[in-house]
Amino acid sequence: MASLITCPHCGVRPKEEFAVRGDASLIRPASSASDAAWHDYVYVRVNPRGRTLEHWHHVAGCRRFLVVERDTVTHEVYSVVDGAAAAREVRR
Amino acid sequence: MVRDYNNRHALDQKLRGTPKPANADHLEVGHWQAIATVLASVGLEAAVERALSSTPDLSLRYCGPGEWLVVSGVDTPLGLMRRLDMLCGTQAHVVDQSDGRVLMRLSGPSARQILAKGIGVDLHPSAFALGGSTNVLCGHIAVNLSRIGEDVFELIVSRSFAESLFEDLMTMGRPFDLSAAFSD
Ligand SMILES: [Zn+2]
Repeated sequence: MASLITCPHCGVRPKEEFAVRGDASLIRPASSASDAAWHDYVYVRVNPRGRTLEHWHHVAGCRRFLVVERDTVTHEVYSVVDGAAAAREVRR
Repeated sequence: MVRDYNNRHALDQKLRGTPKPANADHLEVGHWQAIATVLASVGLEAAVERALSSTPDLSLRYCGPGEWLVVSGVDTPLGLMRRLDMLCGTQAHVVDQSDGRVLMRLSGPSARQILAKGIGVDLHPSAFALGGSTNVLCGHIAVNLSRIGEDVFELIVSRSFAESLFEDLMTMGRPFDLSAAFSD
């Protein structure tokens, strides 16, 4: 796993400071969506080989949720952005 | 039932009665100082930071975006709360942490080497400059670390972790003959 994460607020930090909170590419269905859509959103995960988007919580640092784009094969980290900024980007 | 209430320092049992002479590398545990957390309302981060940093006897420790620990060596906890309420008004949430956190000051020629054993941040002055502060993991305990001198660091830790952190720091400092005492 990628061992150094560059937090936009705290700088370069070891992975021990973070908690990985899962897939960040999911989009929450509308509240009126079908049970099947909600089931998929809550329970079904892919286990990708390669580039992934994940939520990382900087538990021992700024305590912000970050969106980390990394490669599960090469461990390369492509980008780290604040979760709130990422969410604003999606809404746009 | 009537109980006596004693306000004891978290490290009282560890440090009470320790001999005073400090070695070159020394851990000084703050006995009484006022500490508060300030969390700025969304959009008002810059205004709150300006208000806080314009006050000379307040030391500002960065925690995260819009969040700081404010340390005062001159105020009582109540006095600091009053001052912060006046400075921030409704622009920020202020919570007294004077009894909730413990402040330790590590100083000496080996301070950096001691901290490097438990902290994954580059402590070279070019990376972590004088006056800098940040939340960081020390061993397995989250602390706020700040550099207040070339070889002087302050660590602020939650009260319930103070004893563990103290023991960790003393172990990290054993090869350097680290000594420890209360500040006053
Ligand atoms: Zn961070």
